[in-house]
Amino acid sequence: MRRLSVDIGGTFTDCFLEWDGRHIEAKSLTTHHNLAVGFLEAVNRAAEEVGKPSTDVLASVDSVRYGTTLGTNALIERKGPRIGVLVTAGFESGLRLSRGRGYGEGLPRHLQVDLARATRPDPLVPNSLVVGIQERIDFLGEVIIPMKLEDVRMKIRRLVDNGAEAFVVSLVNSVVNASHEEKVEEIIRDEYPSSLFGSFPVILSHRISRRKSEYARTMAAVVCGFLHEHMFYSLGTLEDALRERGYTKPVLLIHNTGGMASLESTHALQTIHSGPVAGLAASQHLTREYDIPLIVATDMGGTSFDIGIIERDGTWIYDFHPVVDRWLVSTPMVYLRTLGAGGGSIARYDRLWRTVEVGPDSAGSDPGPACYGRGGSQPTVSDADLVLGYLDPEYYAGGTLSLDPALAELAIEEHVAEALGISVLEAAKLIKRKVDANMADAIFKEVGTRGFDVKNLKLLSYGGGGPVHCCGFARALEAKSVLIPPFASVFSAFGAGNLGQLHIHERSAYLVVYNPLTREVTLDLDRVNAMIEECETLGRDDLARQGFQAKEVAHQVEFDMRYGNQLVQLSVLSPVTRLRSVDDTLAMIEVFSKTYASRFGVGASAPEAGIKIIAVRVLSWVPAEKIPLAGHDGAKEYRPTSTKTRTCHFWTEEQPVETLVHRWTDLKAGAVITGPAIVESPHTTFVVEPGWDLRLGSAGEVWMNDIAAPKNR
Amino acid sequence: MAAEKSKLEKFLDDPVVFLGPDRESLKYHRLAPRDEGVERVLRAHKDPHQISLIRAKLDVLAEEAFDQLEQTGAAAGAKWGDLIAGVFTASGDLASASTGGVLLFSVVCQPVLRYINKYWKNEPTVGVRPGDVFMSTDPRFGNIHTPDQNTILPIFDDEGKLVLWVVVIVHEGENGSVEPGGMPSAAESPYMEGIRMPPCKVGENYQHKKDWVTYLQNSVRDPMLQIQDMKVRLSACLKMKERIDEIAKEYGWDAIASTLRWTLEDTEAEVRRRLQAWPEGVVRSVAWTDSTLRENALIKISLEARKKDDELILDFRGTSPQFVNRSINTQLHALKGMLAQVFLTFVWPDLPRNQAVFAPMRLMSDWGSALDSTPEAPNAQSMMTFFPGFTALQMCVSKFLYPTTKRYTKILAPWYNMITTFIYGGVNQYGETVGNLCADLNGMSGGAREDQDGEHSIAPIFAAMTDLGENEIIEEETPIVKIVPHRLLEDNQGFGMFRGGSGYQVIGTVRRSDMFGFMTTCTGSKFPTVYGLFGGYGAPSYPLCKIKGVNAFDKLKDLPESEWTIPGLMNGQPFEGAKYSTHHMGMQFEIAKQGELYMICQGAGGGYGDPLDRSPESVVMDLRDGLISERTAKEIYFVAYDERTLSVDVEGTEKARQTEREQRKQRGRPFDEFVKDWVTEEPPQGLPYYGPWGDRETIYLGDPSNKVARGTCLGITMTDPREVRITELEQKLRDLGVELAK
Repeated sequence: MRRLSVDIGGTFTDCFLEWDGRHIEAKSLTTHHNLAVGFLEAVNRAAEEVGKPSTDVLASVDSVRYGTTLGTNALIERKGPRIGVLVTAGFESGLRLSRGRGYGEGLPRHLQVDLARATRPDPLVPNSLVVGIQERIDFLGEVIIPMKLEDVRMKIRRLVDNGAEAFVVSLVNSVVNASHEEKVEEIIRDEYPSSLFGSFPVILSHRISRRKSEYARTMAAVVCGFLHEHMFYSLGTLEDALRERGYTKPVLLIHNTGGMASLESTHALQTIHSGPVAGLAASQHLTREYDIPLIVATDMGGTSFDIGIIERDGTWIYDFHPVVDRWLVSTPMVYLRTLGAGGGSIARYDRLWRTVEVGPDSAGSDPGPACYGRGGSQPTVSDADLVLGYLDPEYYAGGTLSLDPALAELAIEEHVAEALGISVLEAAKLIKRKVDANMADAIFKEVGTRGFDVKNLKLLSYGGGGPVHCCGFARALEAKSVLIPPFASVFSAFGAGNLGQLHIHERSAYLVVYNPLTREVTLDLDRVNAMIEECETLGRDDLARQGFQAKEVAHQVEFDMRYGNQLVQLSVLSPVTRLRSVDDTLAMIEVFSKTYASRFGVGASAPEAGIKIIAVRVLSWVPAEKIPLAGHDGAKEYRPTSTKTRTCHFWTEEQPVETLVHRWTDLKAGAVITGPAIVESPHTTFVVEPGWDLRLGSAGEVWMNDIAAPKNR
Repeated sequence: MAAEKSKLEKFLDDPVVFLGPDRESLKYHRLAPRDEGVERVLRAHKDPHQISLIRAKLDVLAEEAFDQLEQTGAAAGAKWGDLIAGVFTASGDLASASTGGVLLFSVVCQPVLRYINKYWKNEPTVGVRPGDVFMSTDPRFGNIHTPDQNTILPIFDDEGKLVLWVVVIVHEGENGSVEPGGMPSAAESPYMEGIRMPPCKVGENYQHKKDWVTYLQNSVRDPMLQIQDMKVRLSACLKMKERIDEIAKEYGWDAIASTLRWTLEDTEAEVRRRLQAWPEGVVRSVAWTDSTLRENALIKISLEARKKDDELILDFRGTSPQFVNRSINTQLHALKGMLAQVFLTFVWPDLPRNQAVFAPMRLMSDWGSALDSTPEAPNAQSMMTFFPGFTALQMCVSKFLYPTTKRYTKILAPWYNMITTFIYGGVNQYGETVGNLCADLNGMSGGAREDQDGEHSIAPIFAAMTDLGENEIIEEETPIVKIVPHRLLEDNQGFGMFRGGSGYQVIGTVRRSDMFGFMTTCTGSKFPTVYGLFGGYGAPSYPLCKIKGVNAFDKLKDLPESEWTIPGLMNGQPFEGAKYSTHHMGMQFEIAKQGELYMICQGAGGGYGDPLDRSPESVVMDLRDGLISERTAKEIYFVAYDERTLSVDVEGTEKARQTEREQRKQRGRPFDEFVKDWVTEEPPQGLPYYGPWGDRETIYLGDPSNKVARGTCLGITMTDPREVRITELEQKLRDLGVELAK
């Protein structure tokens, strides 16, 4: 297999090249002025590893897969066109009111509860560019107030007069009757043909999301409209650059749905958070490679701590109304929780509780932790890690950044230790214990809320800070082992290499499966099957545009179901692709009931309130070959030695511990190291705490195992 | 003699007619005193670092339960944030609550738990044992009002000792009251307000008892909602219990008990420290509610806040007497819960959400007043009096904070304080009987801040991160069609140097059902409920408007959408043959015909500072955005601008403002002279005024001639408005008869 995957992050562009069984990792600095430059640099470095010119590599790979933070950055920087939005008359203020709660979306909890400070973010669309048009469609799709074409023309002209450069059309209940939205598009094309002014991009909300919820759907369309031009220009430029260098197939963009598609089959919103989602895709691959039924993937970076949950045999866990930057949108996105806990999280004395608190404020990368010597004076988690002896001040990030222990000690002393009346070391131990507990609590909540049993989970840890802290938060969770994956430094790129082309199509529905008043199973099977058929056809068409034949396409049918009128909609994997009889319906009910009970408790199931289907969803994909991690379980165990030691401090140990320090580059597959120990790699540091051991597999994966529970937890 | 007395006492003790509300439990809102057991665990577990870890876990489990409730609850209140989950000490003090949701729900559960401890714990026929499930709805025993339902689980240690309680509360809505939706303004006694459950054991062995569930389902209009949410609440409690068991396994039960108590005591100490930093003194404010929801009535809510050392005394004496056949009365503990919300949400949002925040406050009130009502006064709509009570405190607190150096959030003018929404009920398009309320009640507008404008319809005064919902979802589940769900109304703001947030209009109707109707429950149709701060203006007043006798769906296609506003429809009266009317916002439940329009408007937040100090550019921006009219720009803000380009004329503005300042001086009068002309001895004839006028020792009861000494009137009985109307019509008939006879 020859396959190239690239993930462009804020700082680094990561590359993973699969080349006839070789796994090549490469990195370059992200070049924000022109992403293609950094991209090609990373490809060059990977090509050097296989001893070929990059043109040869590009000409011979089966695909180039590409994840990007371009959209996220553009949103944060508010780089986008002036969008004119047409909504149903009466709904004009909906965007600016943002369901009330829009002030707090994307903010940490302590800011959400401070109502006196609550302030909505600057809107993506100014109020002068939102107009209402006279029309109304009801919840079944019946037109109850017809559209007035002259009114629409007048509103469109007004938007253009006010400076609109693109249009979003989002009309109420368009997901059940799109005729009005389509008519508006037709009028825009008629009023402003591309021959006259160039093309005005027009985005219809029902093409972005087929879910009922007019605000979230409108915002999804607005975000797409906002990112559309910038993204497609940048990505088009990249495609051109690759074509010039011999790659003639379409570039495949990673989607936040856990799949990927070519540029013309992608809308901008699908690329948001695609990098972290690719990391989850890699995690999913590992659950199968290492036969782990349930894994919680954690990514501890400098400023954030991401949590995702992966079931080996289950469906993706989706968030249907995710928050993108500060905006609630309607789109199926693989669920990923981001918290403010990383190496840069700031520690402080908590006067109220007379102890230490960590985060959610972060020193970020600029100025960064105090020990970076870049002007940061607040103590951070990384400062505590340095003081405790876990980090080598001369070998941090492979020696590319020199750390100053004196600055770390000073910051901890001034801001934590003095107030608590304890030593700097004791304060650093408290910081370490607290941040580990915070991360454990966060994992606990996410896993528990999703209905999984915390006791049975295995942890996957990646990101620069993960291996330093994973024993700590695993201990707090009573998790017995942590997997630090191979290719951890380019993990998202590795994940991208394992994705298949996938499209998701949904239909909003309100189908009564079971009516408790009449005690009848009432599901209209023909209607459900028609919806499935429609979604399958759309999925096949998407893939046909990318060169796949219908016979290559696989489908998976999912129903979003609920009891009564509750908010939650559980995704249920349908046992069949068509419902033929009441037995099929009952089988579906059974899957729903089991899923619900496992998540919320057996007693919580309430069929007495009725059972409904709220959405029908079909995943259409082309099964893709995965990158094999052959030989990962056959390494012969050995215990490496090291002459280097460092004094480390652990909160479970009263006394300092003289700790063996290993270099990652000296280790071979099969290495077993019993804690306390430190293993230093150019990309991270593994802290093997007392009571834990480290085992290195032949694919480069590391297992950290709890081998003896310490007395104090 | 001594023996006889003892016998008499024994006789009097035994035949208790029934156990009513326990006034002692209801009045005492401070932390339970330390007992020997508490002293022991506090001595044994006092490491603040370990306590911090346990506290974080308790907070997490409350959050987890909240998330589960919000996701799985079927009531509109559950889905859009009107709920909470909390952990209480064994003696019944709230120690940890979810950060989302309605905090006062939990605070008001303290009396419920105290009641269970006092009366049921040692009662052989009830008892409190592992696996028991308790529930209550009757606000006379705790809680706010009858649509709120709680589920309570006692948690025991391995030796069978009660360690704590977990509680969840949801505004369920429908409860079998005289009007659908659970918040009847038509109730004339507590017994018309739906299920009134004192704290009862509704389950054992962690399961509901079928007989109780059946009773409750048969007492409400929506039995499916009742069973579903009872299950949902119990499941959330069980999840909390499971988590607590795990914490106990790791740290021990005593450590948990100690954590709960230290959390409360440390919080109280912190609040006292913060209060100490406030200036000493007295601040007064007055708030008003202008109807009983049945008739117009100007009801005074007066507050004198006295700060002394580390205590704040909140003196509500002199508030209007209760209305014994109107549902707007407040139980004192509900008022306390609401006042706690002022401190937790608008003064010290950084503090943990627990009972101790309010412990240093002392309350003074008149028993039998509208804010301290007796058990026989209905209170389903107590928000009509305790929300203005909240506003009165919000104004006082801002004045204390202004000179205080260390503040924990911004000073702000009052938040809008009424639940402007449609409460609905009837048969939906699927033939199901439903009753509940629309999430628009979460659209209260923010007050202006000390350095920025207030936000438009953003969150209710009682919770953060609530939701206005999605209309497509509402339309799918109910026959309600909101022709205009969200249109901000021009000039609907508290003017000021920084202006309050604006509120939106809602124009709603019904389709696909002939058996569906609405009610609305707000005050402030004639006299605003929200006021400005430091020179800012208050909110306007808002009537309910109706257009009946027409199916608007047939007409709206011919009416330009620019006229789809309350002023457009009511002033333009475009539908021939229709009946246009305005009302106060206390509309009792009525069936709406398909296409008849009901129109309400979210209120505005109060303004902050003198409008003449507002930046002219901000004024023109609001004008451009349609938030204010040209008249407001010119006559309130005195801004001069180019009417074509809307660019500010800086010099012209300065001149206009200087002229206005000069005219203010001209209009100004010496204080004594003003008092002499303005102040009257008594309220004017014809004003239905309730409360003190000058000194608070004399209370007026709707008429200048009807006055009593404070504390001597235990309630006002109002005549049925229909009777009043019949009497008026009869008189008219008599007068006409006399005319005809001439």
